[in-house]
Amino acid sequence: MHDIQPTDRVSLEEHYAISQHAYAEARMLQNHQYKEWLEEIVADDIHLWMPVTERRYRKDKRPEPGPDDMAIYSDDYSEVKQRVDRMYTGTVWMEDPASDIKYLLTNIEAFHTDQADLFKVYTNVAYIRHRQQDERTEHVGSRIDLLRKVGDKFQLVRRKITLDARVTVDKNLYFFG
Amino acid sequence: MIDSTELVDTKNSTQAKKIFGDQDVYEQELERIFGRCWLFLAHECMLEKTGDFITTTMAEDPVVVTRAKDGSINAFINSCSHRGNRVCTADSGNSKSFVCNYHGWVFGSDGSLVDVPLEETCYHGDIDKSKFGLPKIRVESYRGFVFGCFDDDAPSLNDYLGDWGWYLDTFMVGAGEGMELVGPPMKSTLKCNWKVPAENFVGDAYHVGWTHAAALEVLGGELAMLAGNTAEMPYDQLGLQVTTRHGHGFGVIRQAAASIHVKREGFDKFNQEMIPKVAEKLGQPRADLFDGHWNCTTFPSCSFLYGTNIFKVWHPRGPNEIEVWSYVLVHKSMDDATKKEVVKQAVRSFGTAGTLESDDGDNMVNATSINKGAQARKNRMSSTMAQGHEGPHPDYPGIVGSSFVGETSYRGFYRFYQEIMNADSWQAIHEKDDEWDDMFENKDFWKNKLAGDK
Ligand code: FES
Ligand SMILES: [Fe+2]
Repeated sequence: MHDIQPTDRVSLEEHYAISQHAYAEARMLQNHQYKEWLEEIVADDIHLWMPVTERRYRKDKRPEPGPDDMAIYSDDYSEVKQRVDRMYTGTVWMEDPASDIKYLLTNIEAFHTDQADLFKVYTNVAYIRHRQQDERTEHVGSRIDLLRKVGDKFQLVRRKITLDARVTVDKNLYFFG
Repeated sequence: MIDSTELVDTKNSTQAKKIFGDQDVYEQELERIFGRCWLFLAHECMLEKTGDFITTTMAEDPVVVTRAKDGSINAFINSCSHRGNRVCTADSGNSKSFVCNYHGWVFGSDGSLVDVPLEETCYHGDIDKSKFGLPKIRVESYRGFVFGCFDDDAPSLNDYLGDWGWYLDTFMVGAGEGMELVGPPMKSTLKCNWKVPAENFVGDAYHVGWTHAAALEVLGGELAMLAGNTAEMPYDQLGLQVTTRHGHGFGVIRQAAASIHVKREGFDKFNQEMIPKVAEKLGQPRADLFDGHWNCTTFPSCSFLYGTNIFKVWHPRGPNEIEVWSYVLVHKSMDDATKKEVVKQAVRSFGTAGTLESDDGDNMVNATSINKGAQARKNRMSSTMAQGHEGPHPDYPGIVGSSFVGETSYRGFYRFYQEIMNADSWQAIHEKDDEWDDMFENKDFWKNKLAGDK
């Protein structure tokens, strides 16, 4: 489903609803409400994906990485849930004291697809994480989401995160979204 | 020159805390360890066709590894022989030649200089191209794993691995068609000394129950019982630790190969099918280890977990930083679906966002940064656990420790570290071949233990 293509741009009203949904999701994660995030935002049939991209010459004709290739994230629902559950064990020493993370979301563009309840959303994102005394890391990239409209809410069905850096300048990328 | 007997006390199993952050120690390591040991470069499967290349580093030296026309694998320093610019700027690819971006010198995939712009008009034909090839690095393979070495006097890769090769063969020869690596590697930086993760992988099953308590609790599996170190366990029957002549070593937890993998049907089935084959090819002692979970380091800085199957290189970037490159090990004869699942599960636990990987980073960074303090760095660290509970074993080469939770392979790692840091040459190291294990004094440990067990 990652390859479902966008069709028309959404209306102003729909754009407002989708962008507010994105901000609400980010706020939830920033507040460490991972369980609520999983329940309210994540669809049962999610695939959360962060491929590994190499620096290759322009003439290199090898295809872009697909969902079966090496990926930093390639999680179904049960796997996302495991990551969430780990955060509630009380023994994640790195998160005690807790770190602070901000999601800076920009360049949101939302489109219809050929399925009435599915929306394709492109976002630029910066994740800025502060830990301990002076530890600050920053990850910049883009997100391609597929949202399903259920009633007046949205659920996250597909998310592909592509980070711009080849080398991750951080201890890990264990954060959500 | 720093006297490494001050850095490592093999008798009391202590190390100076300054080994993690001291610039002079690091400079000596670059010359005496990274300049003389075999360092992992690539797996042959990444260089199948003529012209295939990958770029990597040997310590801080950038290196290009290629498959040349004659089928050989070559490695050379990625630095132009004209004015020193980087010659290859991609991670991997296929190319007949490498053209330097600065003035356009062209190098073949064997590193030789093949073309120089304005050769006739401005060099006046007066340049001997054969003298300006890229500096070549010794290359040898072990079971498809390609290593490079800067030192012509170093032993062959086979001899460098020594008894460690005997153990590697358990899965590289014993099971199916051998192993290969899946990339491209994940890359991340960690502000720690390279030895912290290297020692952790060589012999630290001790930290698993505590550092990784959260992940073990959530993932379940055989190792979940380690979480929090509260369960009563007969540790001395659950596994071994081993160290060898050149510091390579490992710990193994019996019958726990895929324990970190949540989805593992294909992997478990493969392992069960292979046990009798390993026994047939290599004998029972290695078959008994085959379905264990192994934590390993090939000295100095190439580590992997067999069973979890993550494969890591700790590339030093100064005394206080490394770049971590993570690949996944798979058996060539696994079916595609099993390979994919193994890759996914390995990355889920020990990739850049891994559930266990994320537990380790703080420990490694803090063990490095804390000891920069003028007073802290004067103190020493210990690796004394189960000292004396180790010795030569009738079935297993090297020095074997009684439990997978122990520090035998730490001691062996730092024993060789001390030796090579002080040795003037490989010749001086060879001269000690018969006495390298003198520090493990309890020669009858296994004789007595095995008699007692009966
Ligand atoms: S530095 Fe490479 S061609 Fe001049
Ligand atoms: Fe660990």
